[in-house]
Amino acid sequence: MKTIKDKVASLSFVALLMALTAAMFYTPTASAHGEKSQAAFMRMRTIHWYDLNWSKDEVAVNETVTISGKFHVFGGWPESVDEPDVSFLNIGIPGPVFIRAGSWIGGQLVPRSVALSLGETYDFKVLLKARRPGDWHVHTMMNVQGGGPIIGPGKWVTITGSMSQFVNPIVTLTGKTLDLETYNISNIYFWHAIWYAVGVAWMWYWAKGPIFIPRQLAVASGKASTLISSGDKKVGIVFLVGTIVANAYLMGATNDEYPVTTPLQAGTMRGIIPLEMPVPSVNVVVDDATYRVPGRAMQMSLTVTNNGDSSVRLGEFMTASVRFLEPNVLEDETGYPDDLLAEEGLTVSDNSPLAPGETRSISVTASDAAWEVYRLADLIYDPDSRFAGLLFFFDEAGNRQMVMVDSALIPSFI
Amino acid sequence: MSASQSAVRSRAEAVAVSRTFDWMILFVLFTAVLGGYHIHFMLTGGDWDFWSDWKDRRLWVTVVPIVAITFPAAVQACLWWRYRLPIGATLCILALLLGEWINRYMNFWGWTYFPINICFPSQLIPSAIILDVVLMLSGSMTLTAVAGGLGWGLIFYPSNWPVIAPLHQPVEYNGMMFTLADLSGYHYVRTGTPEYIRMVEKGTLRTFGKDVAPVSAFFSGFVSVIIYFLWHFFGKWFSGTGFIADDAS
Ligand SMILES: [Cu+2]
Repeated sequence: MKTIKDKVASLSFVALLMALTAAMFYTPTASAHGEKSQAAFMRMRTIHWYDLNWSKDEVAVNETVTISGKFHVFGGWPESVDEPDVSFLNIGIPGPVFIRAGSWIGGQLVPRSVALSLGETYDFKVLLKARRPGDWHVHTMMNVQGGGPIIGPGKWVTITGSMSQFVNPIVTLTGKTLDLETYNISNIYFWHAIWYAVGVAWMWYWAKGPIFIPRQLAVASGKASTLISSGDKKVGIVFLVGTIVANAYLMGATNDEYPVTTPLQAGTMRGIIPLEMPVPSVNVVVDDATYRVPGRAMQMSLTVTNNGDSSVRLGEFMTASVRFLEPNVLEDETGYPDDLLAEEGLTVSDNSPLAPGETRSISVTASDAAWEVYRLADLIYDPDSRFAGLLFFFDEAGNRQMVMVDSALIPSFI
Repeated sequence: MSASQSAVRSRAEAVAVSRTFDWMILFVLFTAVLGGYHIHFMLTGGDWDFWSDWKDRRLWVTVVPIVAITFPAAVQACLWWRYRLPIGATLCILALLLGEWINRYMNFWGWTYFPINICFPSQLIPSAIILDVVLMLSGSMTLTAVAGGLGWGLIFYPSNWPVIAPLHQPVEYNGMMFTLADLSGYHYVRTGTPEYIRMVEKGTLRTFGKDVAPVSAFFSGFVSVIIYFLWHFFGKWFSGTGFIADDAS
């Protein structure tokens, strides 16, 4: 007997391990570092995030961080990605380490999906409240139905303190104050425990006597009808009627306790208002663009015409969240993530002020290890080998103009 | 001990061995069902069961009973026709809920830190009791499918209501109305689950106004009846012992 028991014990252990493994099969974790593995054209030719600001880089639990800025919805949206008619302003963090206390596009709260228009620019803001201590990479993110997540730049934010301190107070429309972090949890445990006990009781009623072998023998020898006694039927009726009556009663009692309930709220929000962008007075034509693989540099030949009334200089080229700055014109003071900032990454063949009415052909080189690190160079292996980005020109008074460029890109391997 | 000798020498030993087999089989059945059913249910019921802001009056009520009646129907077929044991559905649901609670507590909460009030599983035990007792009382697959399957679907919403009603209280938040469940879904960021894939309150039942849950429950019950038949046959076929030479039954 003892060996059988030991075998049962070890078999049971194996089965338990297998069950646990199966149960752990799924976890809804999300890596916050998918940015580099996303196809380069997705990052270059869809949503251009700029003027980003993370209000703090260290917060205590329960404090808030605001991520704000603008995004331009690229007019030459790639055909292989669905247009952003149903888009959701998300935030790329590893699970709920912050809670999303609010998110806005053009001043409108956007807890739901919205319709965005190609070629427009929107301002946005995401308010996060710190929940779980640690160092977290916080990305801007736009999910587009049929296109997947489009990840923007990420910046490290440190949360200090203890998660047990986190509170999420909410006041309902019926005037109740509660903490959404813990609300209803004991009620959930209570009812699940009660019904689990009822289920176990039913199982126990049957499992307490000898079951498999004697019952199988009885069924095989034609005595199946003796296996369910009238006592069994009575017990069954008690379980059946008890379950139905209890649920009917509980439904009524719950409705008395919570007289005001509403259905879940859902539906796409339309009519999000874009920013009114002035028509740029600088006109740019891309004559050609090449990417030199060994030098990790992109070189563009541009013909720039200044139709404005103040002379301008090129200060920045931005694509896929990487900012190439021309150091003589622009210095970053916003604390933009280091790995995405090429402070001296932009070289212009002639960047002397371009006078009003003047046209000039220039050669612009954007070079930085970021091409490699952020796998933007993989663009040349994309099915539609084009690049797109934003050029920022500055006039004498420091006013900025944004010009979109979009062109074919020819790789050069020597 | 040679193979021709009996493993037991007395009636008392035979009873003890039979009892040991009971626990062994029950345990193995429970854990095997847990693994298979849990994966099946995650793949088919998925997000509707994971998140409180998916537990709506239309699709959750419809989808969960339909995809959940599968294993109970099959295991019932085995345990009833072979052993006259009316515990197939309850065994499946107890196994499923144990697996789900382990997953929700250890992974959703313990690993990813979603509060339990957004990621608790759906209640299915009252549904299972109905299915098992109807089978026991009727001894008929057809009646169990029709009456049991319908009852299975109908009791699903009421049996979950004490747990989800508190989360359907309305809140005004930054100028919009939310239920507490919606707000949890918005607050506790799911990077991989953008809002637009949330399938709730969609469908063509709008003519029924606000009494949509009972209509969905009826519909779910009807489809459960059909799925019950299908999976009951799977169960019968699966529990066949034709491969043992001297037992052709
Ligand atoms: Cu990251």
